[in-house]
Amino acid sequence: MMYRLVTLLALIMATLSGMPAKAQDGPLRIEITEGVIEPMPFAVPEFVAGGAGGQVAADISNLIAADLAGTGLFRAIPSNAFISRVTSFSSPIQFADWKAVNAQALVTGAVDVDSAGKLVVRFRVWDVFAGQELGSGQQLVGTTDGWRRIAHKIADQVYSRITGEGGYFDSRVVFVSETGPKDKRAKRLAIMDYDGANVTYLTDSASLVLAPRFSPTGDRILYTSYETGFPRIYVLDVQSVSRRVLETQDGAMSFAPRFGPNGRNVVYSLTKGGNTDIYSMDINSGVSQRLTSAPSIETAPSYSPDGSQIVFQSDRTGTSQLYVMGANGGEARRISNGEGLYGTPVWSPRGDLIAFTKQSKRRFHIGVMRTDGSEERLLTASFLDEGPTWSPNGRVIMFTRETQGATGQANLYSVDITGRNLRRVPTAGGASDPAWSPLQ
Amino acid sequence: MQTKFERGEPMSFLKTTLILCAGLALAACTDPGRFDGDNTVDLNGDNASGYGSGTASDPSSPAYFQQAVGDRVLFVIDTYTLTDIARNTLDGQARWLLANTDYQAVIEGHADEQGTREYNLALGARRANSVQEYLLSQGVPASRMRVVSYGKERPIEICSDESCYAQNRRAVTVISIGAGM
Amino acid sequence: MNTGNIISGIGHVALIGWALAGPLFRPTPKPFEVTQVTAVSEEEYAAIMNAQRPNDAPTQEVQQPEIQPTVQPDIAAPVVPDAPQESPALDSQADTAPQQQPAPETAQPAAPDATPVPVAPAPETQAQDTTPVLEPPAQDMAALIPQTSLRPKQRPVQRIAPEQVAPPEPDTAVDDVVRQEAAPAESADTPVEEQEATAPEEAATEIVTEAEEAAPVTPSPPTKSVRPKTRPTRTAAAPETQAAPSTPEPDADTGTASGIEDALAAALGGATSEPAQTSAPSGPPLTGGEKDALRLAVQSCWNTGSLSSDALKVTVTVAFDMAENAKPKTETIRLIDSAGGTSGAAQQAYEAARRAIIRCGARGFNLPVEKYASWKTVEMVFNPERMRIK
Repeated sequence: MMYRLVTLLALIMATLSGMPAKAQDGPLRIEITEGVIEPMPFAVPEFVAGGAGGQVAADISNLIAADLAGTGLFRAIPSNAFISRVTSFSSPIQFADWKAVNAQALVTGAVDVDSAGKLVVRFRVWDVFAGQELGSGQQLVGTTDGWRRIAHKIADQVYSRITGEGGYFDSRVVFVSETGPKDKRAKRLAIMDYDGANVTYLTDSASLVLAPRFSPTGDRILYTSYETGFPRIYVLDVQSVSRRVLETQDGAMSFAPRFGPNGRNVVYSLTKGGNTDIYSMDINSGVSQRLTSAPSIETAPSYSPDGSQIVFQSDRTGTSQLYVMGANGGEARRISNGEGLYGTPVWSPRGDLIAFTKQSKRRFHIGVMRTDGSEERLLTASFLDEGPTWSPNGRVIMFTRETQGATGQANLYSVDITGRNLRRVPTAGGASDPAWSPLQ
Repeated sequence: MQTKFERGEPMSFLKTTLILCAGLALAACTDPGRFDGDNTVDLNGDNASGYGSGTASDPSSPAYFQQAVGDRVLFVIDTYTLTDIARNTLDGQARWLLANTDYQAVIEGHADEQGTREYNLALGARRANSVQEYLLSQGVPASRMRVVSYGKERPIEICSDESCYAQNRRAVTVISIGAGM
Repeated sequence: MNTGNIISGIGHVALIGWALAGPLFRPTPKPFEVTQVTAVSEEEYAAIMNAQRPNDAPTQEVQQPEIQPTVQPDIAAPVVPDAPQESPALDSQADTAPQQQPAPETAQPAAPDATPVPVAPAPETQAQDTTPVLEPPAQDMAALIPQTSLRPKQRPVQRIAPEQVAPPEPDTAVDDVVRQEAAPAESADTPVEEQEATAPEEAATEIVTEAEEAAPVTPSPPTKSVRPKTRPTRTAAAPETQAAPSTPEPDADTGTASGIEDALAAALGGATSEPAQTSAPSGPPLTGGEKDALRLAVQSCWNTGSLSSDALKVTVTVAFDMAENAKPKTETIRLIDSAGGTSGAAQQAYEAARRAIIRCGARGFNLPVEKYASWKTVEMVFNPERMRIK
């Protein structure tokens, strides 16, 4: 109290004394509280190719640039603006030349093919204006077929050295590939790189499939299939493409499965007598546990990353809202509070946010909120957006967007959790229900 | 209007269709061109395989069940309670099923595209269950019925207007010969 | 782990051993990390798959997924790259060419015919070191309520800045600092560096998500203030407050005595608790306006857009020395304090702050040289609290 009084007095005196007559000593102190948010300009000059590395060196450099620019956090400076060329991986960087084109980050590298025919790629990341290397050089070795993965891995490194969070480029997305008109739509499971490359189909289109989900290690996929004419949950091994049905309850529909963080527990919906509730199952033992028992619809469950809680949607109050309960069921607390209907909640891998689908005034939104329901932010708006999935680093959300009308088609989109950088994920035909793998 | 669904009265295909439409759909027949020059209405695309035999003029045929009795009931948005019209249709279905005991029924629940995939699956299941419960109450044994929900995955009308949505919010009773379910 | 990787691992270990025991006199290369990214070729994979494909596997149209290569980060030891590699030295020349502008494409001097129409300088180029302020229409000035909201409709743009910036003229280069196009001087004795007119990149003050953008336009009167929320108040940094004690956030725990001392010292004319150490020519202290100019200059280069949410929780205090030409001495930039996050996050936050100082200081800040003693050493606190979600 005394201190406050003295301070106050001092401040008053200071005010009364007006402009100080003497120059201040010591450092000038400035507080910066406002900045800009804009993509950071960077340059990836073509990696230096040794021997047979020619075309692939260009491909790798371009893909690294595309990965980074695709985040919306970075902006690639076109190579025709470059002043200096990097002709040797080990020669000193001409920082002045890169400053002149306002490249704030620079990625240099070299591509060689070793005697065993393997691709050897080295790279370094530079802070141009500070004239310093960010992190240390790294070397990646792989087959020439795997050049995209090498490029994605380098881009992940660059991303994380600049932003301070993990990347998401060396990851895959499992989704439902869609063909045919709306009333005769054929669906099949497919998997691809996060950027739409390397599409591979995992099922044929004979039976309807829905909502695939990766295991925490990316080795297995849960999905719902009407293979028997009846919706049931299957577990598919990604490597062998073999699948088995998850034995839930005879004669009861099961759907909306998701792995827990231990890769062993699965939480899902089961419908009996028209009533849908949430169950969990230890998929090793096959023992399941009922987690909710209300006459309302309880579905779309998702574990928290520590496995201790489950967020789900329920219409127990008459409209669909989001609730959180313990991993073994019990009392659930409602977290959604806004107007409209909420569904398909997904806990972020960082644990701090929940992404969801919201329906309001005949439009659909993808949004995020804190795990207590506060700070709700809607990121998108369209005729039909649904089914968010998180990038491995919790920074980007991918979802399904379906267009209106008789010719309506579903596509995959991604958006940064700030709501910026909305973009379509390229797929050959229609696509829905994406699920992002962990970083590989 | 409901009296037109008298049992055993033979009807021409087109007439039946129009009456069904008038009786059930209300908003759905606002497009008069829908049936122009086409008297084979595919009422439920993927599930026509159950109707292998018979014609609409044979009261014990699946075609008769589909067209004269009416194989579907419609629901108000985001509900699963049966309307009076629906109950009337289901009375007819129950009578037919009790008279034709060789047939099994799969009751499919559907939803319109407004709503998330998971919720619509659950909603379709509720609708199918409402139909099953009603048929049970009318004496159809549980062993002859099975329910399945397609959510919003199998619309029959593809526009994004209420006229189509009203047709898609439905429960369809699909019959087939045999006990294998 | 497959045999190949094991062999590869052994090979690398051998290589490391050779490298360590080998030519020690070589310049030490920078640390280098090696990661194995293995992939099986399609033929190999097909062979594996044919051997183990279950009978009930999907039909022919199912293509097999490419095997996902396993990454073996286990060989992460430093390795001497095969080429005798000199570590790229820090480029000491980098700062000797700070004058370098985005080079004029054509070095044409005043060729009167070549410049058909003299481009009139944009009106806002008067302000040399502040971004132009877009004056929003004042709500209470509107005589009629228009059909749409008066709130300046923000379009989703790539750049979020404290002040909204209208799209620049089509032919101005984007730069952080507004510069007037340098017209060739009449007296051509001293060659004047020709500069392209630059203007700050178009910016909005807040992120406009699709959800907000698409909100139906209601004909009702605007309910929100027309004033962009984040417009900084020019008078915020009054001289008195700038002369505050030099500890960033006076913490109650740091001792009340020094707090009182500081407060009193500040009251008694700006003498801080630090002993006077310079005999540099001391002029009058910087005015609030001059400090603001410095603050705004750095602000326009402080890009938090590429920071993780963790890094956005860290407040860093960065100190640096300035040369008399008001250019920061890059090598003196140092992190002196951080609060609110892990050391990793603080590093990225510091790097972003450092970039801001170097980039916007490259041409020299607009500071009065007669007051050099006042700004010879600068401490800047970068507080991202307001930048987290915009």
